[in-house]
Amino acid sequence: MFCLKAAFALYAAATALAFTYLFSKDEKWSLWMLRLMGVGVAFHVASFGFRLALFWQIPENKYFLPINSFFGALSYLSLAVAAVFFVVEGRHRLGILGAFVLPWATIGAGAAVIFADPAIKGLSPALQSYWINIHPMVLMTAYAAFGNAFGVGVALLIQEHQIKSRKPTELCYRLPSIEELDNLNYRIIVFGFPVLTVGIIMGGIWAYNAWGRFWGWDAKETWAFITALIYAGFLHMRFVKGLRGRKAVYVSMIGFASVVFTFIGVNYLSELHGYLSGRG
Amino acid sequence: MKIFRSVRFNIFLGCLIALGSAVGTFLPQIPDAAEKVTAYQVAHPDLHRLFDFFGLFDLYHTWWFMGLLGLMAFDIVVCKLWNKPPDPGIVALPPEMTREAEIEKHLSQKEAALKLKPYQAVLSSALAPAAASQMSKSFLEGEGYHLRPEVSGAAGSSFIATRHRLQRWGSYTAHIALVVILLGALIKGVYGFVEMVPVLEGRSRAMQNKPDWEVYVDKFTIKYYDGTFEPKSFSSVLRVQKGSQVLGEKTIIVNDPLDISGVRFYQASWGAGGMFRSVDLKLGSQILQLPQRTPEKIPGTPFLVTADVMLPNFTVNNGQADSASLDLQNPAVRFTFSVGPHKTSPLWLLKNDPSVCFAEDPDGNLTRAPKPPFSLAAIDPILFSGIQVAYDPGFKVVLTGAVLWLLGMIGTFYLHRRRLWVLVEPAEAGAKVSVGAWSSRGPEEFTKDFDGLMHRLRAQLDARDDFRITQNPLVEVS
Repeated sequence: MFCLKAAFALYAAATALAFTYLFSKDEKWSLWMLRLMGVGVAFHVASFGFRLALFWQIPENKYFLPINSFFGALSYLSLAVAAVFFVVEGRHRLGILGAFVLPWATIGAGAAVIFADPAIKGLSPALQSYWINIHPMVLMTAYAAFGNAFGVGVALLIQEHQIKSRKPTELCYRLPSIEELDNLNYRIIVFGFPVLTVGIIMGGIWAYNAWGRFWGWDAKETWAFITALIYAGFLHMRFVKGLRGRKAVYVSMIGFASVVFTFIGVNYLSELHGYLSGRG
Repeated sequence: MKIFRSVRFNIFLGCLIALGSAVGTFLPQIPDAAEKVTAYQVAHPDLHRLFDFFGLFDLYHTWWFMGLLGLMAFDIVVCKLWNKPPDPGIVALPPEMTREAEIEKHLSQKEAALKLKPYQAVLSSALAPAAASQMSKSFLEGEGYHLRPEVSGAAGSSFIATRHRLQRWGSYTAHIALVVILLGALIKGVYGFVEMVPVLEGRSRAMQNKPDWEVYVDKFTIKYYDGTFEPKSFSSVLRVQKGSQVLGEKTIIVNDPLDISGVRFYQASWGAGGMFRSVDLKLGSQILQLPQRTPEKIPGTPFLVTADVMLPNFTVNNGQADSASLDLQNPAVRFTFSVGPHKTSPLWLLKNDPSVCFAEDPDGNLTRAPKPPFSLAAIDPILFSGIQVAYDPGFKVVLTGAVLWLLGMIGTFYLHRRRLWVLVEPAEAGAKVSVGAWSSRGPEEFTKDFDGLMHRLRAQLDARDDFRITQNPLVEVS
């Protein structure tokens, strides 16, 4: 737990530096933001490793990953958001995006530390399957990508507002161009969408092995399907109708709202996927 | 028909399906929670009529929802057949030409056609045109390009090089995959079945969908995590017979069903239905073992005692004995004491709390009784194993669709089709190599790719001049 608390503190500090960098011209803030994030991710990975060691002390949990609780899921999700941010940052060198993306990693880690129960429990028989190492991880990686896309979308909306306003601030010159942000938003979603759908299909195969049906319209399945439909709509509107800019961002933001609801809200509606809320 | 060709209409359909699906998650659904539907109907007498009219309590099986899904599948097919993806090859000239005049005409047209390509670069080489052409082809083959037959003549030569040609089919494959998945679901709906077969340990039960198949649970085992009622495993020694013929047998656990010719038997649930082999009643220092509903004499007394009913998770509901669940969380047993024709009021004893005792009147109402001089020491319950039997002949079709979808996604999003048109012409001191390019990739990335490619080609050709990539603003790169 110490490692995760340290990771949370470092993410929060990195987020603060990202905001400082947003309103200053000094590159050192960006550099320190990345350094703090890097150390935070290292602590986070260590926390995951320690938790795994404890988790595997229960024989039934051996070789499965500890994401059967809200704590474990939130912890992994925030780590995935940070990891995707690093990939995006590594490829595009847009330090300024930290202010729009890192809050999600911080909120995820913070929610795990503050609100979620860290108790380690034995896996229920339904979850004792190798699919638990694949299906939720794949889906949450997609969620993490969409979280990053959301941050990029917010940056795009701010930039567009700046450009349209009569008195653009310093921020306007520091943010990437609308075209660049639009392209980045699209590319992250293009990564996330296939991962999401593959995760859903994997869930279907697991459901077939566990319950005898590929698809059962359980609330979690249904909302994952709705999320996929929204992002599919986004891609079609972009490919076929050439949707760009603000309107495209609005659609992707609706998609992200659906992601958040699928991850958190639906746990209280789902009969079969209520593991995170203790209903399963 | 025009409306079905419209992607906009398809997106609208998607929105309707998303909206309908969402509604179903906020209302209890009959297949999963029939009792909750009944409770909802009682609590909302006015709304439920409206909801019933639209079938909202079994939304995913309503004609209108199935119709929307079917319409979308149809629409996807029509859209994909009608709206073809951009084909950059359309600009290329036919490769089969034999007469010299045609070739010359082709090459001159080729140059004009090159100017229509989204990206162009011109290189000058000291090599002879034939050598420059050969060198370009070898280089591009080394870069993973597939070469189309060359057209050559006195005016020069031209060829087309392509890479990741399969990308073009990615979108088709992905959309066909959706239809295949829906087809699999349809096959399941028509030919498949799912039924729940609860079987008491040591007993059997006939299936509804295959009445001549008998499901036997020879042994049921459940293990809990220490100090909790959380199960860590449960399994059934299962046997399925058709008459005297054993069709299959296996110890099934969750995630590992028994498969008999595609009919799969899943370990889905368990529970205690109120039956038991025996209970131990502790009377002072002696223990009396009582089979269910079999009166036993209490040694040294004229009394007979009978244990008749067990509740696995005892609770008092509206003043009467009830079970909160089928888990053995708070088991209780009802005992009756009798002497000749005289009977006492039945008494409920709780295994987890010997100090609690309830007396039951003839109407079933409970009153708290003082702590009795005997207690419930142990219960040997007969559990039932919940076997879910499913037959889904469409699963392999769905799986095929899933694999196609994956391939389609990879093709659409991760392969980037490239096409180069290369024209090699004689120049003053060597050859002029003009390259036109198109890619399914975005302009930002492909400009970098094309720039790198041309730099390497320039080094291969030992080109004298630097080159400049021009992007044709009139050509939209999709």
